[in-house]
Amino acid sequence: MLSEDLHLSDKHLSDQEMLLAADGELSTRRAAQVHSHLAECWACRARMAEIEETIADFARAHRQTLDPQLSPIAGPRALLRAQLAELVSEHKSNSWRRLLHFTSTTRAAAFLCAVVLIATVVGRILVHHSTQPAANSIVDAFERGALPDRRLTPGATRRVAISDVCSMAHEEVDEEVSTSLRQEVFREYGIVNAHPDDYEVDYLIAPGLGGAEDVRNLWPEPYTSRPWNAHVKDDLEERLHEMVCGGQLDLSTAQRDISTDWIAAYKKYFHTDRPLALHSRLESIKLASALM
Amino acid sequence: MPPTDSINELPFPNVAEAAHSAKPSEIEREVIELFDQFRDPLLRYALSFGISVHDAEEVIQEVFLSLFRHLQLRRSRKNLRGWLFRVAHNLALKQLYANQRSYKTTSDRAIAEEHFDPTPNPEEQLSSAQRRHRLLAVVQALPEADQGCLRLRAEGLRYREIAAVLGMSLGAVSISLTRSLGRLIRADGR
Repeated sequence: MLSEDLHLSDKHLSDQEMLLAADGELSTRRAAQVHSHLAECWACRARMAEIEETIADFARAHRQTLDPQLSPIAGPRALLRAQLAELVSEHKSNSWRRLLHFTSTTRAAAFLCAVVLIATVVGRILVHHSTQPAANSIVDAFERGALPDRRLTPGATRRVAISDVCSMAHEEVDEEVSTSLRQEVFREYGIVNAHPDDYEVDYLIAPGLGGAEDVRNLWPEPYTSRPWNAHVKDDLEERLHEMVCGGQLDLSTAQRDISTDWIAAYKKYFHTDRPLALHSRLESIKLASALM
Repeated sequence: MPPTDSINELPFPNVAEAAHSAKPSEIEREVIELFDQFRDPLLRYALSFGISVHDAEEVIQEVFLSLFRHLQLRRSRKNLRGWLFRVAHNLALKQLYANQRSYKTTSDRAIAEEHFDPTPNPEEQLSSAQRRHRLLAVVQALPEADQGCLRLRAEGLRYREIAAVLGMSLGAVSISLTRSLGRLIRADGR
């Protein structure tokens, strides 16, 4: 564009233009123009140097402040390794059905080759055990604790803009609920002497979907409920958040579906009748694996 | 007795475990490699939210367990560095909200404690510490999103990656950084 050319040759570069050029974010043509301007203009070169120096100074200050707090990496690495190994062994020892589904991949194919004899011998037993009626009765038996009492927990939202919801993306962890509110929830559900390990006081509509920290939006979800538990619900929340922020679903529909029957919503949005095989946490894999 | 027990009694799982040795999978190796590469930058980034070292370490563990799951589900491998920072950002933020009242921000504490670089002479030490203090004070006065952009930039992320981590547009990141750097330069009395 002619006006652009004039702009660049007549005027000094803006800070923003220089920063974008340094990051390779300008078009080739424009970057070349910036480059040639810098070659000729001492003032812009000096400004550019100043900006780069400031970034470097800040990066140094940032590190010098925080680095003394970093522990050596060896301990955390060992911990991660152990957690991964546990995750893998839990996964492997309980994932026959999944592996049978993955026959198209080379990795699973190699694995199947190694155990193909065993698989052919007992494959039928597995198929027999995982037929739909059996799975359904299990699901029915365990679904109860995973769904809230709608009279006590209809769900409550706070007024949020999509941009607020999407600027703090939903991840696996839920926000902590205050102790007094937790107690109120337990009281409401008539649970006395609740042990903290037995229940998670969970949001029906997740904060990441505009759910309110309100007693009407909280219920005690047993950790033992299977296969539908808090971790599976986290996956649904993440999925709905992605869909809402990706413009595929509006926020009010997401809020309505998750508060009406989150298990039905999971089935609807994941196109499945049961929780998908892998969940975010070790715990959920342990729980889910009992059904595999 | 829950019907699950009968399924567990199948000879199957044990055989499967025996057939498949405990050797780390390719994905595990990859996760550990990425951990070695990005643990420090991610930990610094998590700490910059003002959460405790202990919490930040937990956040990072969680980030890499999520990465494992992400890779295992064969999800996008495009820009894993940006992905890691995004997950760390979200988890650190949640952690911060969870214990917002219990901690003074890390940088505040760090400034109060002042860790000196042992190399320069005492006068230089003082002036460089003062300068650092001043820079960080300016940064702390910036809006949160601007601070985030600067910190991610300090960890070497490109504009595009920063935009993805913070859920901002490329233009917004560029405006934010330009503004912040302008302020830092002015505060530095250049």
